[in-house]
Amino acid sequence: MFVQIKNLTFHYKNSQKPLFENLSLNFKQGEVSVILGESGSGKSTLLRLIAGLEVPSRGSILIDQAVMNDNFRFVQPEKRGVGLVFQDYALFPHMTVEKNIKFGLTKMNRKQKQARMEELLAIVGMEDYASRYPYELSGGQQQRVALARAMAPNPSLIMFDEPFSNLDSKLQLQIRDELQEILKRTGITSIFVTHDEEDARSIGDRIILMNNGKIQDEGLPEMVLQKNKEKLSLAYV
Amino acid sequence: MYLIRKMRSQFNSWALLSVIFSVLILLPALLIMVQLFAESNENWEHIKEYMLKNYVVNSVTLVSFTGLFTVLIGVSAAWLVSAYKVPMHRFFKWGLILPLAIPPYIGAYTYHGILNYTGVIQTTLRNQFGIKVDQKFFDIMNIPGAVFIFTMFLYPYVYIITRSFLENQSSSLIENARLLGKGSFMTFIQVVLPVSRAAIVGGVSLVILEVFNDYGVVKYFGIQTFSTAIFQAWFGMGDIYSAIKLAGTLMFIVVLILILEKVIRGRKQYSYSTSKVRPLQPKELKGWKKFAVLSFFISLFALAFAIPFIQLLQWVYMTYDVILSAAFADLIWNSVFVAAIGSVLIIIVALIIANFSRLSKGWIGKVFSKITVLGYSIPGAVIAIGVLTLFLSLDEKVITLYEWFGLEPTLVLSLSISMLIFAYVVRFLAVGFNSIESGFDKVGTVFTEASRTLGMSVTKTFFKVDIKMIKGAIAGGFILVFVDILKELPLTLILQPFNFYTLATKTFQYASDERIHEAAVSSMVIICISALSIFFLHRVLEKEPK
Repeated sequence: MFVQIKNLTFHYKNSQKPLFENLSLNFKQGEVSVILGESGSGKSTLLRLIAGLEVPSRGSILIDQAVMNDNFRFVQPEKRGVGLVFQDYALFPHMTVEKNIKFGLTKMNRKQKQARMEELLAIVGMEDYASRYPYELSGGQQQRVALARAMAPNPSLIMFDEPFSNLDSKLQLQIRDELQEILKRTGITSIFVTHDEEDARSIGDRIILMNNGKIQDEGLPEMVLQKNKEKLSLAYV
Repeated sequence: MYLIRKMRSQFNSWALLSVIFSVLILLPALLIMVQLFAESNENWEHIKEYMLKNYVVNSVTLVSFTGLFTVLIGVSAAWLVSAYKVPMHRFFKWGLILPLAIPPYIGAYTYHGILNYTGVIQTTLRNQFGIKVDQKFFDIMNIPGAVFIFTMFLYPYVYIITRSFLENQSSSLIENARLLGKGSFMTFIQVVLPVSRAAIVGGVSLVILEVFNDYGVVKYFGIQTFSTAIFQAWFGMGDIYSAIKLAGTLMFIVVLILILEKVIRGRKQYSYSTSKVRPLQPKELKGWKKFAVLSFFISLFALAFAIPFIQLLQWVYMTYDVILSAAFADLIWNSVFVAAIGSVLIIIVALIIANFSRLSKGWIGKVFSKITVLGYSIPGAVIAIGVLTLFLSLDEKVITLYEWFGLEPTLVLSLSISMLIFAYVVRFLAVGFNSIESGFDKVGTVFTEASRTLGMSVTKTFFKVDIKMIKGAIAGGFILVFVDILKELPLTLILQPFNFYTLATKTFQYASDERIHEAAVSSMVIICISALSIFFLHRVLEKEPK
């Protein structure tokens, strides 16, 4: 298993009730997993815990056999080698596309950085936009730059927090297909968080259905969606 | 176990530095707290019995009315400037900040000079029109007069904070309200006021603390308040115990106000949820509305800036040849020197504590951010006494050390300028901190998190991302602090080294000696330096990429 979450418990600081209690979950290498759930179900928080942006109260997280946190250790987010694409992309507004992508490339020399940046712009089809600032880009273009930036340092795991929610529906379909293609091509392990059933169906190798911080079901997309049809349609009406 | 791990996840040099700075800042206040519980003496019994009620009533009256009027004027000016376009719009946008350049004590003696029996109004009425008006109609040396002075020269605190909030707030809220069929007035009441509540409360609490701190205006107008009482106890009676007890009482009132501020602000944090920030587009006004808004701007600008400024110019013209000399250049150098060093130190300390406080999320960070505000809530005179006590006790240690090495023992620290600058940092840290904290609030933590998932440590992220995203807030904070130090009076009066005067203390000296005209030149320099920094601040805020 590539990512192993064991008995994870987490509280938000203002709440008495834990969001997760003894949550255990695994992700396989090279697999595209989708966490599907309503807003407030805890799916984004789970990504933040894996990235090291939140501190759990108990339990452990392992990535590629290495302990990220357990009862004694806590690896800082910058040391985890995990990429995260934020819901509103969080592109640094004071940097160009080029600078944004090169930002995470700390261990390379100038030439290598340039080459890697160009490679990634080619992957996301944004070769002509290197010198633009984020505010000069459309939503879909920002999304692609955010993906390129997260992938640039070659993370072992990449996570997406509602990546399509800020795009119009036509663009959603297009970007979704592109993204799926890129992920398949690079073979990178990835975790998606979404509330959209269609996204989950089309992009996931596996779906994890989450509600109130608990895993309701998991498995192949068609099976999970079919089995939980009633629950899902109730939730989304 | 969880606690240890949580601490480990947050413990770094940022935490360590924040702890050290906070302890240093707390020390003077702690020294006063310790002595607050000393046995009371005859003086204090007398003050408590006969005078305390008067101090409370006067101080509270001044604070309440000034607070009310600064909110009314500051918020309406901020909204009108952000939402509407009138002729000379750009001029008023920064012109309405300018009164901040005039310290209330300068405003007070200038208005007194304009309105008194030999002032320009009375003499014109007498000589040109032969009208004699009883002076009592022009007397402003009373509580309503002081409220007028404070309101005119302090409302910009509310105006600036509210305006920059309104302008930078994603305009979609206001546009949405308009689209949903709300008129301008209802948009203001139902949307603008509630969303900018935190900003307004922040602005008015600065005003309130400024009024509590004031010594110049109330002393000049002969109004008994806490700060005049503290000065009187300390300088008049040489009674540090009563001064400390008065200060303790005042601190108690101030703490109540800070708690109130917290309650009113609530848990609301208004910060952007997207990285796309669109400024609010002002709407062109026509007809009587244009006329009304324009007259409001013009009268406000005239009363709070143009009239006293022109009067001072005339006095400068009368006295400049006597005043301008090498001694005067020294005065300017002294003021700029202490203000620049003080401001740089404050910005550095504020950045460190603010960054730690926002990233640590929990109650620890909140505690640190409250400590930094403490200095601003304690009147300058009280901080001065606390700092003096601290440095004198440090000097005792130094003297022992000197003797150890067989050197001539002297008072090193307590006679030096470092004591004054340290006191400035304690006093004005909150001003820089508030500005930087609200800058951080505005950008949220998402960019920091993005940087960290891309492999940058907290410190690298700070230099590459955080600091660049709040450039405007840093410049703004620096300028506010600089101007505040330049104008500072009570603290400097007590702590200035022998034969070291600043523009502010010299001005006050002239004015208290009723040499109002001579005070004009140094007042003018304070006003011009402040005005220049305000102009610069305005330019920086304008240019800040949206």
